[in-house]
Order: sequence, then C-alpha cells, then structure tokens
Amino acid sequence: MYHLPDFLPCLYALVACMAFCILYNIRGADMLIASVDGAFGWLVFVLLTPVVSSDVVRYFFSAVAISVYAEIAARIRKHPVTGYLLLAYIPLVPGAGIYNMMEFCISGQQDAFAATGLHTLGIAGALAVGVLMVSSGVRMYNIIVARRALRKKR
Amino acid sequence: MDYEKLLSLCSELGYRLLESGGEIYRVEESVRYLLHAYGVETCDVFAIPSCLIVGLSAPGQKPITRVRRMPSHEIDIRRLESLNNLCRHLCAETPPLDDAWTRLNAVLCDQVQFAFPVQIFAYFLIGLAFCPFFGGGLGDALCSGGCTLAIGLCLHFMDRLGTNLFFKTIAGGFVAALLAVGLTVCGFGLHSDLIITGAIMALVPGIMITNVMRDIMAGDTLSGVIKLTESLLTGGGIALGTGLALTMTRVLWGVG
Repeated sequence: MYHLPDFLPCLYALVACMAFCILYNIRGADMLIASVDGAFGWLVFVLLTPVVSSDVVRYFFSAVAISVYAEIAARIRKHPVTGYLLLAYIPLVPGAGIYNMMEFCISGQQDAFAATGLHTLGIAGALAVGVLMVSSGVRMYNIIVARRALRKKR
Repeated sequence: MDYEKLLSLCSELGYRLLESGGEIYRVEESVRYLLHAYGVETCDVFAIPSCLIVGLSAPGQKPITRVRRMPSHEIDIRRLESLNNLCRHLCAETPPLDDAWTRLNAVLCDQVQFAFPVQIFAYFLIGLAFCPFFGGGLGDALCSGGCTLAIGLCLHFMDRLGTNLFFKTIAGGFVAALLAVGLTVCGFGLHSDLIITGAIMALVPGIMITNVMRDIMAGDTLSGVIKLTESLLTGGGIALGTGLALTMTRVLWGVG
C-alpha cells in the first residue's frame, strides 16, 4: 500500500523547514521541534493518500495534525504557538499554486487560471479551517479551566 | 498614572509584536490585556498588517489616541517570543511605567540574527530540499539550490536599494528562471521546470494566502483582504519575472 519513496518528501520537508527556521530566526531546540512538525504534517498527508481521495480533505487533516502538535509544543516550551505553526505550514501551503495561477493569468489561459485559483483557495481554506478548529478548541478549553479555577477560589 | 506614557508603552509593544510577525488577533489582544492590567477600562485597539491604532480614555481626562504606521517587515520569531513573554510578565506584575519601558527597551536591544552567510546557505537549502520534494533528481536539486542562492543574494541587494516587494519578487523570479535555464542548457540539470518550481518556493506567498483565510474566518476581514492583495501581487510578480526570463531565453537563444 505504501512505498518507501513516498515518504522521502518528509525528509525533504524537514530540511526545507530547517532552512526557513534560519530565515525566521527560530533558534535552539525550537528549530528541531518546529521542523519535525513540518515533516509530521507531510507524513500525515502521505499516510492519508490511499484512504482519502480528495487532496483538499487531506490538507485539512494535515493542518489539524500540525496544529495539535504545535499547541502541545507551545504548551511544553511556554512559547507562543505562532512560530511552530508558521514553520509547520511551509510544506503544506499552496505556494506553487498561486504561482501557477498567476502564470496562467499572464499567458491568457482563463479556464486554467480559474481552476488553479479555486483549487489554491480551497487548499488555503482547508488549512485555515484545520488550524482554526484546533486553536478555537484550545481557547474554549482554556476559558473553561480558568472559570473552574475561579469557582474553586470562591 | 501618566496615561500618555502608558499609551506610548502599549502601542510600542503592539507595534513591535506586529513587526516581528505576530498575528492580528495576538497584537490586539496583547495591547488590550496590557491596558486592562494597568486599570484602563475603556480602550480600543485596531490592527491591520500596515497600521496599529490604540485609543484610550481615562476617567476625568481627554481621550487620547496613538497611530503607528507599519512599513514592510521581516518575520523574527525569537523577538516575537521574548515580546510575548514580556507582555505576559507586565500584565501579571504591572511594574511602574519607567521600569516597564526599560524592560521593553532591553528586549528590543537584545537582537540576535543569523549571520549573513548562514542566511544565504539557508536559501541554498530551500532549493535543495524543495526540488526533490516536487520530484526532481539530485542534479536538479543542486541546480535549484544554486537558483535559490541567487534569489537570496538578489533579495538582499534589492533590500539595500530600498525596492518594494513587487519589484523584488519580479527580480527574484527573473534571476531564478534565467539561472535554471542556463544550468539546464549547460547540462547540470535535467528538468528546468522542476528546478524553477523548487527555486521559487523561496519567494511564494504560501503562508500569507493561508493566513488570509485564517484572518477572514476569524473576523479580521480587512487584514485578510490586504494580505490577499499582497499575495496575489507577489504571485504575479514571480510569474512575471520567470515568464520574462523564459521568453527572453526562448527568443534570444531558442532554449527553455
């Protein structure tokens, strides 16, 4: 069902994330933690490939996976979740999609432009929903915990 | 309480958070919490990627407002982390304003960045990793690394000249595509399209387009629209740059 070469991109994603760590000034152990998150996101994507046929749905689940990882890492390291999430996004984000879309736009291929554009927006939306769902969940949990603590004090 | 000083402190902190790459909601929340911690009940904070507005009215005083305009900036997660940490401590301890200013200045002075050669090497790694990610071979990967290295150098020098984002991206895409075709013609790489796709990953606004959707869904519609325009411009810039280079090589030398 799975072949080893399918998993090689995870390794490439790890290296790419490390490189972006340097550009975004992420240092020390965080560099590794965040990069592994990026590779993990792609691993989830690859693992889901035979199970889920729509790639937008796969992107959604990958986004959920990276944000759960990032929230846990942020909690343990006591750092804002921004850095981990920003970095883990990198292998998943549809950067090449925007480029292709604008290329079609410039070369006058309207149908291809619309198709790639919608697909890119779909991927971006799926990623955003995945991340937002986890962060909203964490937020609600935090509020519930804070209220309970308040009630106990009284 | 010197409310003008407090307002300056809060807007400076928010400004720096936004500058380091903090999300809109994080900036707005941090400033609001800080003002609440210092006992200001009626305050309004409004942030978009290019501007931060903080207003407050204290009992028995005239309402005051501070506007900060944000130029284009680089992401600096290390500084974001220390600022976020500082904000949390200030909210918990509410030290005298002069103390808080000293601590903020200490955080701002404590800037550590990776050395320039290391950053250029990082650019090389981006191409090296992304080309095989899209299916290129070893030769392609090395060529792609060379292209991203050129992009990094190009961006650095364009930065020094104070060029805007759009032209910077056009130049980056142009240099990358030209080099990719050149290296393919010389026989170092096999697939110039894969090399270019790997190389432009150093330029593409992928994170931005994802943040667009996030901002819009979270209710910061204006920020989302601003970033959407910016990411379309960047994507267009890359396509223009690479298109220009490919057309040039095709017309002038008949390759690519």
